[in-house]
Amino acid sequence: MFRRTFLQLAFLCLAAISAQAQLLPASPAPQPQLPPPSDGDPKATTVERVPTNTIIIKGAEPSASDHSTPLPEDGSISKGVYRNRYLGLSFPLPAGWMETFDGPPPSDSGGYVLAQLVPAPSFKGPGKGTMLISAQDMFFSRVPARNAVELINFSKEHLPSYYEVEHAPSEVTIAGQKFVRFDYKSPAADLHWYILATEIRCHAVQFVLTSRDTALLESIIAKLGEMELPPEASAAQGNGGGAVPLCVANYARAENITYKVDPNLADRRFNSIPVRIIIDTKGHVRHVHVVSAFPDQATKITDALLQWTFKPYTRDGQAVEVETGIMFRSSRTDVADPSGRASATND
Amino acid sequence: MTRRILPLAVLLVLIFPLQIVAQVDPGVRGGAAGAGGPLASVAANNPANILNFFNTAKGDFQEIDSVSGTIAGQDGAGLGPRYNSRSCAACHAQPAVGGSSPSVNPQVADATANGAQNTIPSFITASGPVREARFPFFFTNNQPDTSRPNGGVEDLYTIAGRTDAPGCTTAVISQPSFALAQNTGNIIFRIPTPTFGAGLIENIDDTTLLANASANANNSFGITGTFNREGNTGTITRFGWKGQNKSLEIFAGEAYLVEQGVSNELFTQERPLPGEGQSTGLPSQCRLFNGTPEDRTHFDGNGATGTTMSDTVAFAMFMRLLAPPTPSTTTPGGAASINNGKALFNAIGCNVCHTPSLTTTSSGFTPSLNNATANLFSDLEIHHMGVTLNDNVSQGGAGGDQFRTAPLWGLGQRIFFLHDGRTRDLVAAIRAHNSSGSEANGPSFNFFVNLTASQQQDILNFLRSL
Repeated sequence: MFRRTFLQLAFLCLAAISAQAQLLPASPAPQPQLPPPSDGDPKATTVERVPTNTIIIKGAEPSASDHSTPLPEDGSISKGVYRNRYLGLSFPLPAGWMETFDGPPPSDSGGYVLAQLVPAPSFKGPGKGTMLISAQDMFFSRVPARNAVELINFSKEHLPSYYEVEHAPSEVTIAGQKFVRFDYKSPAADLHWYILATEIRCHAVQFVLTSRDTALLESIIAKLGEMELPPEASAAQGNGGGAVPLCVANYARAENITYKVDPNLADRRFNSIPVRIIIDTKGHVRHVHVVSAFPDQATKITDALLQWTFKPYTRDGQAVEVETGIMFRSSRTDVADPSGRASATND
Repeated sequence: MTRRILPLAVLLVLIFPLQIVAQVDPGVRGGAAGAGGPLASVAANNPANILNFFNTAKGDFQEIDSVSGTIAGQDGAGLGPRYNSRSCAACHAQPAVGGSSPSVNPQVADATANGAQNTIPSFITASGPVREARFPFFFTNNQPDTSRPNGGVEDLYTIAGRTDAPGCTTAVISQPSFALAQNTGNIIFRIPTPTFGAGLIENIDDTTLLANASANANNSFGITGTFNREGNTGTITRFGWKGQNKSLEIFAGEAYLVEQGVSNELFTQERPLPGEGQSTGLPSQCRLFNGTPEDRTHFDGNGATGTTMSDTVAFAMFMRLLAPPTPSTTTPGGAASINNGKALFNAIGCNVCHTPSLTTTSSGFTPSLNNATANLFSDLEIHHMGVTLNDNVSQGGAGGDQFRTAPLWGLGQRIFFLHDGRTRDLVAAIRAHNSSGSEANGPSFNFFVNLTASQQQDILNFLRSL
């Protein structure tokens, strides 16, 4: 029986190949023995393949002046817990939930996708849903908002008409810290969105939960109570300080800068380049985080910024570390303003 | 027996998960082509003579190019030395002139037309998509060198052996090494973008695009996005798969040179392959069969449009004056399903990138372009699409995985999807949005995780109605 099946298959394959050959036009003349025009030789004996599923030509991407200072985009999931050293946040995932894909790189407006979670195939719950953990650097937001509360209020005020507000933005306590909660739904899709946001180091950190099953969403909110957050986390004023630098908008104003070197951005790509810097207690730039830039731009900006010096920032008479934002463009440099609208300093 | 079948069934389910989902792509919408005609004001001949101009420009768009314009029935001149096809309309054909890849690939016949002696690459098939090939990286010692980005178009064919290219033989010019590129995974493809409604897209002001981006800034789906910009002026570019071309005239002039090999007033020199251009350039036996540029202003007024205008200008104007596709209100699936699909499309966040409509600014060409609603289903931004769609080609400010949001108008009558035409299946195209590094994971998770099969089907019906 096996032989018969094999013979039938072989016959079918031969017939298919024969039919295909008849459909093709007559064979062209043999190829000449010329150097290939794009510098490759088809007779090469060893073959190395371009890695698959790898973005080699990345375009604008994040970078930093050192590898030890935590960055917002460096959060990861290990042993069922999402941890983010920069934000000082850890969150045990609900049972049966997982991350299937990494998020995109940070945007040129300071937007981060920190994690996207879905139920694993083994999930035993009655309903399904999705969870997005995102952050918006409030120094570079396109939305005119100064903190998480204003960002969520903006979302509510600009909610498209095909959604319905279920729970207007209001302050709630999660894991002992202040969040703003906003719920809305889509009648067409029978889906609910529960959004919880807080501010950490001048980033609006949002947990966006989506499902048709509101009991599932409430159970995840209960799970969020197991999060660990930094003491500064607050819906309206998470400004760092303590163990991390204080974040101060507009600190890279001319009156605070004692020395600066402008990077030569002559590439004319016209992309926005958000940059966060940490200034130490002596006024030196100790860390540069280029949130989104082409590598050559990032190198020039980092090299320049590490030479900048500032008046030390003082709080209660003590010099403290601060982090602030600067928006570079090919033609100008803007200091970051938490209203989401950077103001030009040297057009 | 059962014991043997069961593992096989499990294996098939694992290998072909897409085939077992309940929702199905309704397929290419039948009936009359919902596109290909002129804008309403052009059809009404407003301003005077514009309709005649549109019709003659359409003829120019359909013209077949030969090397010197001496072959009967092939009025255009300037083909090659390297080319992908011989006519704009051959590739921009589905469902009507100006569209995208047709059901029968013209590139099979292009290989040997008029005596040309080309080998058809294995990725070009009679029933497959029209394809343009690019090598993301140059080769060093016959290996793809990821430290040397290339990304330029590797034209499929040469004019060697053609009856109208005396002296140009396969002894002096050869096709790119497609076999090596395929063996090393150093090749990607692009299919033609449809051009219906292109004049409306061209006439959307940058401020409108920026306002739309700001309005969508704090969405619940993790979508951000940015714009590709023109390198000298900094204004937003918008044509091509990565939104790299500023205007329809640039788009037409570049395609005329790259796809057909016709030098023109915007791109004045004949084009070698990227590797060839870094060494010796094109062989002398195969170039300069015509004066340079080959497509130019006709001072005598005897251009193909009966005016002084060049082909490039005529092509651009034809695309500019093409009406947008007309969607169906009932097919497939009926009006209720389509309307529900539209509502669901918005609800789950597809519309954040695939913006249903934008308004054009004032137009000096014709009233239909003037302050008009363009139902393009695109924000014209470039977005990270992740590792699955990444092609490792940078164009302008777009990186390897960044693509312009593909306008969805006319999707119902398209055969091939995504930038490389890798699928005919709308479900597979949506699934390809879902991968590491993609901005579209939020909406596509919503589609696959949070919607019922019936709701998914409504979205598919809506998309095929466009």
